[in-house]
Amino acid sequence: MNNIWKAVKLDFSLVKPYVKTICFTMILPVVFVVVNRSLLTGISFAMCFTAMTTGYTFSITEKNSMERLYGILPIRKSDMVIGRYIFIIIMGLTALIFSLAVHPVILTILGETISKFDFINAAAIGIFLFALYTVFQLPGYYKLGSIKGRVFMYIPVAGFLITLLLITKIPVSESRLLLTVINSPVLLMLSAVIFVAAMYTVSILVSIKILKNKEM
Amino acid sequence: MNNYLEVRNLSKSFEGFRLHDITFTLPKGYIMGLIGPNGSGKTTTIKLILNMLKRTGGEVKVLGFDNIADEQEAKRNSGVVFDSSYFSDEWKISQVEKSVSAFYENWDTQKFSEILEKFHIQPSKKVKELSKGMQMKLMLACAFSYDAKLLILDEPTSGLDPVSRDELLHILSEYIEDGGHSVLFSTHITEDLERAADYITYISYGELFFSGRKDEFVDSFRIVKGGCEELSAELRKKMTGIRIFSTGFEALVKTGDLKQFAHLNVEPASIDDIVVFTGRKGGQYE
Repeated sequence: MNNIWKAVKLDFSLVKPYVKTICFTMILPVVFVVVNRSLLTGISFAMCFTAMTTGYTFSITEKNSMERLYGILPIRKSDMVIGRYIFIIIMGLTALIFSLAVHPVILTILGETISKFDFINAAAIGIFLFALYTVFQLPGYYKLGSIKGRVFMYIPVAGFLITLLLITKIPVSESRLLLTVINSPVLLMLSAVIFVAAMYTVSILVSIKILKNKEM
Repeated sequence: MNNYLEVRNLSKSFEGFRLHDITFTLPKGYIMGLIGPNGSGKTTTIKLILNMLKRTGGEVKVLGFDNIADEQEAKRNSGVVFDSSYFSDEWKISQVEKSVSAFYENWDTQKFSEILEKFHIQPSKKVKELSKGMQMKLMLACAFSYDAKLLILDEPTSGLDPVSRDELLHILSEYIEDGGHSVLFSTHITEDLERAADYITYISYGELFFSGRKDEFVDSFRIVKGGCEELSAELRKKMTGIRIFSTGFEALVKTGDLKQFAHLNVEPASIDDIVVFTGRKGGQYE
């Protein structure tokens, strides 16, 4: 087992006692699905709430002075950081899969029709939003810790509102490129994946630099 | 490899504090006490050895590996015990093993169970349910389970009752018995060192005061006692530290200077005496 995977497992064992709370944040957006009758709204809220729980690993580490444990383990700091990002991405994907499985069922029960395209669109936007929130949050937590860095917890909320605002302002009909991407499920998904990968790469590099210079 | 730990010219500057030019070596098979008053730089030295702080100068070799360039190799066979637990309070002991064992290739689950039994730690308990002494034993159990060659303990006895302190010292003595393990043990409870340590490294106000064999350290000082009329200005200059009472004085002197104090009462100095007399800036209090 390589060190990155060991770090992922360690992070999982950190949040294991809090799994019920995290699961609750995945269930909560169901209310928004019922009220708004929109898959996109439900997925957006689900990803926003899940992004807000990413501070758990940092809070638990800080509460138990576990930076000392991380400091004595035979593992590179870069592996620790990549492990934490992978763990958080797994959390995001779990929330996304859960929401994509449950929300359409609820909407169908409520009499709404969900097309294949709605489904892919919601998935792509969900991935993008989660990435957008966490790429700013995680370096913030590494730099300032879970208490001072709590301000970064609100980035998902601000980001969500800004995204909603921008979506209505973008002149989609005037941009042929944007229209082509939006109308093609494959291109939309591919663009989201490339953009997300680029954002995470930069964010991981910044976090590694912060942790390497941090004194425990 | 004869030395399990080599620290050379180690330096670190903070605002208002400077650890300067610390050099010592810990040979294989021995216990070294790292002593000094609170704030003298003991924990800073340990954190620099573990690369948890960035040094401003010097070099550290742990089990022959550079503590920065070969950090993983250096940590693979080292165990660390701090003054409080570094595991999640919510973890059960079995979870501690699951979480930590993956990082050590030579982790021995059977040995871990045996040590837990020996230390009377129930695997079903949560870390937060353990006393401070038990938490310290849990950290030791982990280090013993992957056969850490070098054990570094930062103030492990602070806050422990005398029974737990005695148990810890016994465990450490057993640990080095085979000659293949070493311990660096920081403390300000010098009584513990009188019993357990073979070597002493004494840091005072960020500077290295002494590093060498404990007997040599204790033997290099004496306590002299006398009446006020026997205390001349010339003698005072030769004293490392002095305490003056209304009826007389007691002072710490170097054994090499003892001839000049032959007319006074001379007693052996304890580690505590040496730390108390040398730990005060100016070395005098009245």
